[in-house]
Amino acid sequence: MSQLQTPVDLPYGGVPLATSSKRRALPGWLSILLHNRKAMIGLLLVGGMIVVALIAPLISVSNPTDFNILATRQAPSWHHLFGTTDQGSDIFSQTVLGARRSLILGFSAAILATTLATVFGIVGAYAGGWVDEVVNFTINIFLVIPTIPLLVVLSGYIKSRGMTTMIFVLGLTLWAFEARILRGQALTLRNRDFVHAAKVAGESTTRIVFGEIVPNMISRIAAAFVLVFYIALLVDAGLEFLGLGDTVHVSWGMTLYWAQTNSAVLQGEWWAFVFPGGFLVLTVLGLVFLLAGIDEVSNPRLRGRQ
Amino acid sequence: MISTLASSEPRQAETPPSLIDVRGLCVNYGPVRAVDGIDFTIGAGEILGLAGESGCGKSTVANALMQILRPPAQITGGEILFRGEELTHLGKEQLRRFRWRNVSMVFQSAMNALNPVMRVGDQFVDMMRAHERISKRGALARAGELFDVVGIDARRVRAYPHELSGGMRQRVVIAMALALNPELLIMDEPTTALDVVVQREILQQVRELQQQLGFAVLFITHDLSLLLEFAHRIAIMYAGEIVEEAPAAAFQTSALHPYSIGLMRSFPPLTGPLEHMTGIPGSPPDLASPPEGCRFNPRCSFCTPDDSDLYRLQTTVRPRLHEVTPAHFVACHLVEAGKR
Amino acid sequence: MTAALEVRGLSKHFPADRRLRGRSYVHAADDVSFSLRPGTITALVGESGSGKSTVARLIARLYDPTSGQVLYAGHDVSSERGRRAVRRYRSDVQMIFQDPFGSLNPVKTVRHHIARPLQIHGVVPRGQVEARVHELLDTVGLVPPERIAKKYPHELSGGQRQRVSIARALAVEPAVVVADEPISMLDVSIRIGILNLMRELKEARGLAFLYVTHDLASARYIADDVLVMYAGQIVERGQAEEVLQSPLHPYTRLLLSAVPDPARGEGDLLQVSKGHSAAAVDPVDACRFVGRCPLAIAACSRSAPELVEVSPGRAARCHVTAPSTALREDVHEQPVR
Repeated sequence: MSQLQTPVDLPYGGVPLATSSKRRALPGWLSILLHNRKAMIGLLLVGGMIVVALIAPLISVSNPTDFNILATRQAPSWHHLFGTTDQGSDIFSQTVLGARRSLILGFSAAILATTLATVFGIVGAYAGGWVDEVVNFTINIFLVIPTIPLLVVLSGYIKSRGMTTMIFVLGLTLWAFEARILRGQALTLRNRDFVHAAKVAGESTTRIVFGEIVPNMISRIAAAFVLVFYIALLVDAGLEFLGLGDTVHVSWGMTLYWAQTNSAVLQGEWWAFVFPGGFLVLTVLGLVFLLAGIDEVSNPRLRGRQ
Repeated sequence: MISTLASSEPRQAETPPSLIDVRGLCVNYGPVRAVDGIDFTIGAGEILGLAGESGCGKSTVANALMQILRPPAQITGGEILFRGEELTHLGKEQLRRFRWRNVSMVFQSAMNALNPVMRVGDQFVDMMRAHERISKRGALARAGELFDVVGIDARRVRAYPHELSGGMRQRVVIAMALALNPELLIMDEPTTALDVVVQREILQQVRELQQQLGFAVLFITHDLSLLLEFAHRIAIMYAGEIVEEAPAAAFQTSALHPYSIGLMRSFPPLTGPLEHMTGIPGSPPDLASPPEGCRFNPRCSFCTPDDSDLYRLQTTVRPRLHEVTPAHFVACHLVEAGKR
Repeated sequence: MTAALEVRGLSKHFPADRRLRGRSYVHAADDVSFSLRPGTITALVGESGSGKSTVARLIARLYDPTSGQVLYAGHDVSSERGRRAVRRYRSDVQMIFQDPFGSLNPVKTVRHHIARPLQIHGVVPRGQVEARVHELLDTVGLVPPERIAKKYPHELSGGQRQRVSIARALAVEPAVVVADEPISMLDVSIRIGILNLMRELKEARGLAFLYVTHDLASARYIADDVLVMYAGQIVERGQAEEVLQSPLHPYTRLLLSAVPDPARGEGDLLQVSKGHSAAAVDPVDACRFVGRCPLAIAACSRSAPELVEVSPGRAARCHVTAPSTALREDVHEQPVR
């Protein structure tokens, strides 16, 4: 047996077999995602929620905000699948219609906050010097200001209570926490030799940041997204409490808020919070499972097979 | 002190048990066998060097000796005897007393493992009081003594780790390891991160201490050239096995195993003629599926189909360590067949 | 022979204490001058704190010098800031890093690492990038190239990763390659292979290598010239064999005695006062090695020695072994210790 030049040792001596050209090959990342069991579960859960939100008007039987004093606090039944609230509103309708607002609110706020966190974090870390000082200072300011007073102030200035406003408010209050973490990660990456090597190879700063550093951060950015999504939905309930919320529209957060205000737990009215809460949990769970898939796609070291 | 290596043969009854007697040690990381049946002994006051490249299992051996392997790593076979007593049979409390008192260890990059927010003297005190009933003052005094012994100004007990250079931190760690006068000091790559001058200073210091205090040393490193100057005996590990074991002087002149020879030939000389060198082609095998027979055979220049009987042996039967000349053990079919 | 690259009076000072702005400086490199000739390997030898990595990074333009010049093709590149000028420089001067894992992006394939420089500098037309990547992998001994190109760094061994780094550096067809401790993190049996590869490339392509290392033995093995650095300064230079067999500077002698040399047998370290080679902070006008030097005389604490040429190409910075004419009479003084 002769000496090997490298441990790469092909049994048939050279050229890898060509892949079948009959079927159009899926992009690499998609095929990895589809083969990852956790990611598939996640996809089903989140996809399921999205479908529910889409068909909500078709399946909800009554207007979710209707009060019906004759049917208050009813446990789930054929008539009211998820039971009714203290005011007699149908929880099933609230839940499926609320999915729309919750999902849109959650995703949008998460996108806004994550984008801000990523941009600030990476720019600060890569630029260093006074730019980083400014970024750091900004992050600290947003971290130090307590969320509730910030919300109060913002809502004092912003008159409208629409969805867009809520998204902005949530995004602006939630980005700083993740920004600090992403900046930390970007700092360690920035000092790695492969970034220096890219610079010496002649890569432009933009390409270094987006082509070399960000791909190493995708897992963490995705995790930040999911966290903000979850918090945004809960904070939505808090906004309601402060009177900043949007009482006209329904969302999971709102249903949960009302359940809490009406002491649903003490009253044993489990249906008031289990269903909306459950939908929220399932959605977040789905996202978390998806994260496992994203981890595998973005980090080649985690891939099971070649 | 050479004990026989095949466990079936009886031990010589008259000689007292060696300090450390390892027989057929096997360690697994889950399904992968990182250490596959190794035997060696360390006598009192002896310096045994264990050399090998990354992934050969040498650090695993050290961790097994100290009984600090953590799942998924576990000892799956063989015995480790300390003065005749099986270490795996020791109870938790006995093990705790065994560690540091009988055998202590200087870990790889230990100098970076010092607590950055505590003065080194206080860390010393912590360590001593964990093992002995001693007052803080007494422990600090001992720290000062030991610092002196390893070549640091005793006043530095009040320093924080970042105020000391790499070399000094390593000396602190060595002082801590010697605090309870252990009989065996295990050093795992103690000077790898240090400059060559500091490395030489520290090794000289350790050798002086060893001569004064009489402890044995298990010195683990990938740098064979250090061992040639520092150790009494050297064992070479490859892919989880010991392939050669001999007194250091014998290595210099007559290394027998092709891997050992290859390693010796990987150090360009500082003096003497300058020739083209080849190192060892290829790289160590994946222990999840090691080669059949002798694990070195894919890289061995003496393993060719030309000699078909030998070749068959080399590719199907694992060679065992056997004594070629007194105290010189090799695990190699070629050597065994007397063809070298 | 004209130099491929020359550094003159290169200095890099880092602020020592951020809070005391501007007061204290670490002289990582001080007045370093040397040239790299095509088809030669120059070893820059020193320990941590000597400044050798700083010099390497200055040449690779990862930092800007505090003062001094880096001359390439006749002009001073350290003052050029224009994007195109920098890119032109980078297509001629490349670097190999010490850490085989850290110097490759873990989420990118081997192909990406080698193709990028080809694309950035337009070394070959787009259609030929793949072929050139395979050619380069072949040159550095990574075969079969088609298979290796698709792999990720974690699927390769340390030696293979360093070869990828070398292929990446070669992609732009540079004239100068700075190798910063390329083998110190590799297994011993793999090191020779990489050193041999560097030597082959030097001979086949006429490259000028700057081989930064703390290992004198490997420097002897492949280098033509040797520069020894201590505390930010060059303290000795000359042809490799001369410097290593008959060292002039006491620090070089100390280094030589410290290297484990199996051929030489047991030896003790030269007796020196304890100390470590760290970068000088706010250095004074005296020899920086005086605290550890067995040959020190009074003059050594009074004035900093110059790098004096004792014979063509051979120089040392020492009042005792390479005195400048002004100090010749002091040599007969009794040593201080």
